[in-house]
Amino acid sequence: MIVQVKDISCRFGDITALDAVSLDVAKGDVVCIIGPSGSGKSTLLRCLNALEDIESGEIIIDGMNVDRRHRQIHQIRLEIGMVFQHFNLFPHLNVLRNVNLAQQVVRNRGKAEATQISLELLAKVGLADKMDQYPGQLSGGQKQRVAIARALAMNPKVMLFDEATSALDPEMIGEVLEVMRRLASEGMTMLVVTHEIGFAREVADRIVFLDNGKIIESGPPADLLVNPQQTRTKEFLAKVL
Amino acid sequence: MDWLVSQISSLSKIFFYLIQTVHWTILISVLAYLIALALGLTFGILRLSPRRPVRWFASVYVNVLRGVPLLVLIFFFYFGLGKVVNMDRFVAGVLAVGICYGAYLAEIFRSGIQAIDYGQHEAAMSLGMTRWQTLRHIILPQSVRIVVPPAANEFISCLKDSSLVSIIGLRELTRAGREYSSQYFLDFQTWLMVGLIYLMLTFTLTRVVKWLERRVAVHGYGVEKR
Ligand SMILES: Nc1ncnc2c1ncn2[C@@H]1O[C@H](COP(=O)(O)OP(=O)(O)OP(=O)(O)O)[C@@H](O)[C@H]1O
Ligand SMILES: [Mg+2]
Repeated sequence: MIVQVKDISCRFGDITALDAVSLDVAKGDVVCIIGPSGSGKSTLLRCLNALEDIESGEIIIDGMNVDRRHRQIHQIRLEIGMVFQHFNLFPHLNVLRNVNLAQQVVRNRGKAEATQISLELLAKVGLADKMDQYPGQLSGGQKQRVAIARALAMNPKVMLFDEATSALDPEMIGEVLEVMRRLASEGMTMLVVTHEIGFAREVADRIVFLDNGKIIESGPPADLLVNPQQTRTKEFLAKVL
Repeated sequence: MDWLVSQISSLSKIFFYLIQTVHWTILISVLAYLIALALGLTFGILRLSPRRPVRWFASVYVNVLRGVPLLVLIFFFYFGLGKVVNMDRFVAGVLAVGICYGAYLAEIFRSGIQAIDYGQHEAAMSLGMTRWQTLRHIILPQSVRIVVPPAANEFISCLKDSSLVSIIGLRELTRAGREYSSQYFLDFQTWLMVGLIYLMLTFTLTRVVKWLERRVAVHGYGVEKR
């Protein structure tokens, strides 16, 4: 198991965002996380990348303990790629520098090596011709593909996607899902928070339904989407399908 | 006619007397401002430290120095500390102004850093950058755009406030004005001229700030699509 989440809880004041969540993900698996707004999906991904403190429990990724208070936490984070709903590209850097920067300052790659890797990845997401542009000049779909290339450039062991297509115009969703689909088929381990049930059905090895900070139900798409066991899962699916 | 000629000749005499000290005003303000920049950047960053004692220490600096009149600070540095560690008036004056403006600049830097979307921190951290790398490569370059105009305006205030060091006998522009007026009893003309010279300096600087504002507005951002 490359990702092991053991009984984690996360609280914000009175709100319990995650309540004793456990989840294991095998190498190469794609796990889609679905659930209503406020159910804790983002919080779960953010805990996996040590962007939130967990109150109890333990997260182990590829043998490393993910703990925000750890002094070397940045060295663990770089093994985990994250793609955000709002892209969070660096607006003061052009596309190439966006993808290069962390390779150079974190992975200590030389500029030439980093650039070569960046160009390969940009070609892979179909944006090699945009390398000199600034984020402000790109469409939403293009921004998100650059963000994916930027995360991949660190050679992460796991990729986390938090509603990567939710901020996009409908006609741009496809191009981003296509990149994610390809990544999945290449064997990347992925945790994907998404409202795209079609994508989850097609790509996920397992779907996890989260509600109120708890995992209500999880299973392969064929089971969970077709034959959910829990009432709450049924209610949620009735709304989104 | 004669009156006008004599006025002009005495004003120009005053001008040439005063202008010989203007480089001290400039030197004091520039040195003080450089100290202020270094302190301001440091304390602006420290105020946002994840460690509570560090934050607390930085906020004590900022709040104490912003709460004490600069004149009192100058007296404290020259008459107080100066006697203890043997500081001359120049060092004491420059330090007092620099440390005081450091506190103002710290607030400007802090708000400039805080103005950057937190998503930028998270994206940088998720790529494995340390806090320092994130500041240096991601946050500060973006803050520049926000910080430069108010920080440059502080230099103008700093230049004006440098006149306060005249009181500990530093021979800059204001001090020279005092000397001249008490020697020749031309108070009106002297202080008019002192004011005009300050105005010349600040007016020029205002133009420079305007120019800077326009420069940083586009620097490195390409064409923003809005
Ligand atoms: N920084 C925070 N401070 C306080 N409460 C928070 C914070 N982040 C999340 N929460 C709360 O934790 C709960 C879970 O939030 P989370 O963002 O994980 O939900 P989500 O499933 O991602 O929802 P959405 O689909 O709307 O993105 C919510 O009740 C939210 O209000
Ligand atoms: Mg969310």
